[in-house]
Amino acid sequence: MINIVDLSIRINGKEIINHVEFTISHGKITALIGESGSGKSMTVSSILGILPRDAETSGEIVYQGQNLLDASDKIMENVRRKDIFTIFQDVSNSFNPSVKMGRQLYAFSAARVGDTVDVFNTKMLVLVEKLELSSDIFDQYPFELSGGMLQRCMIACAFYVKPALLIADEPTSALDMVLQKEFIQLVIRLNEDHGTTVLLITHDLDVVAEAAHDMVVMKQGSIVETGTVDTVFARPAHAYTKRLLASRF
Amino acid sequence: MKSRKALLFWFSILGLIVSLTLLSSVLTPFEPNVMNMDEVYAAPSADHWLGTDHLGRDVLSRLLEGGKVTLTVASSSVLLSLIIGIVYGGISGYFGGVTDTVMMRLLEAFITIPALVIILAFQAFMQGGMWGMALIIGLTGWLVTARIVRSEFIRLKDAEFIQMAKMFRTPVWKILWSHLLRNSIPAIFVVTLFNFSSAIFMEVSLSFLGIGIPPAIPSWGNMLYYAQNDILIGAWWIALFPGLMIFITILAINFIGEAWKNPQRRRFND
Repeated sequence: MINIVDLSIRINGKEIINHVEFTISHGKITALIGESGSGKSMTVSSILGILPRDAETSGEIVYQGQNLLDASDKIMENVRRKDIFTIFQDVSNSFNPSVKMGRQLYAFSAARVGDTVDVFNTKMLVLVEKLELSSDIFDQYPFELSGGMLQRCMIACAFYVKPALLIADEPTSALDMVLQKEFIQLVIRLNEDHGTTVLLITHDLDVVAEAAHDMVVMKQGSIVETGTVDTVFARPAHAYTKRLLASRF
Repeated sequence: MKSRKALLFWFSILGLIVSLTLLSSVLTPFEPNVMNMDEVYAAPSADHWLGTDHLGRDVLSRLLEGGKVTLTVASSSVLLSLIIGIVYGGISGYFGGVTDTVMMRLLEAFITIPALVIILAFQAFMQGGMWGMALIIGLTGWLVTARIVRSEFIRLKDAEFIQMAKMFRTPVWKILWSHLLRNSIPAIFVVTLFNFSSAIFMEVSLSFLGIGIPPAIPSWGNMLYYAQNDILIGAWWIALFPGLMIFITILAINFIGEAWKNPQRRRFND
């Protein structure tokens, strides 16, 4: 679905990402795993085309036969709006604190695919109830909801948009264990029900074991290992992966 | 909940003062500038609730009318400083980099000069009237606002929701207005309140020194200025009431600002 070919990113002459190559397979959940500062989020930013202005890139990110690195602004906007849905790490700051949830959910879902408010109201209400949220949230402000509820609101928008690719950048790191599990179940459901391809960025191997089909291990800006979760877990080849696996509880 | 009650209390005090002064033209029992030489230095009585001054003018009427003048000067100068502060701080905070550095060094240079000195010099030189004074207080009062706006913008501009807005190519004016400015309002509100109280104080100080509001217009500071001699002959009421009004107004504004500074009111967590 997305092919990353020989991607390198330099900022101020410093290599952040080094000749990274991997594939996000269609309809699969791919986990991108690595410690903080290993370049996971930078890779995501380059897929979305939101790298800092002083970043120099080389290589290709191929999506639907097109290199996203030199796609026009208009194409990128369309891709970000309709094809790729991103869930950021800190969900409590992903919503504007001074705007009611109803309007923001609309902006994150219906406005992206061009639905009217009426369509949004009926469709979103069903989704919200499906995700066990109360319909009161439409009239509440983000700071009145818990982190878990906000994360569920975000995934409700993902269910609404039905993107081709969901990118979740450490979506569970701000949640407790119960909510983490719940969230991962929702991601799996999105993948199974709608065939949404998922790129899951995480440093939590339990999440990988639970949800992902394929995994990519990154260390200091380079890829050290790729493969299906089963093979990597059974026979880790690189020393870093072995150490990661050994450090699991 | 205690702070909420206190906030409500000070809000009603301030609201009372503001509405009394705003309605002064209806409420005043006498013309504020009409002299009555038969009743010079009359102590508070049923006729003149707060007494009369050295020209037999009713102190209550002048107090309400003067409040209108003082509060008008203060609010228009605060409005001016608010606009300048938001624009200056907003540009500096949003664009960052060299722009920010230059603008902030310039601001720091300004901030080292005490505003009162500039205003004093300007007033003495220009003999400015009411609006001239509002203008100069406004022009010197935006520095702290600009700093606060800048720091709020810097704090907010890397937040996820702004990243997301940028990702969807939200127009810059919309990000500035409904994402950055909107979420900076609590902080701006607090600093504006404190600016307001200091603008009142500035008007009073200048008028008390005799270079503020022209003598024909009553203001709280003017009243204090003319009351200096009256105290010596025992007419305490001429100075006491404007003094009290200034005191209570500034106190109320500061308490409201203090209550608003409460960190529990913050919605955005870093």
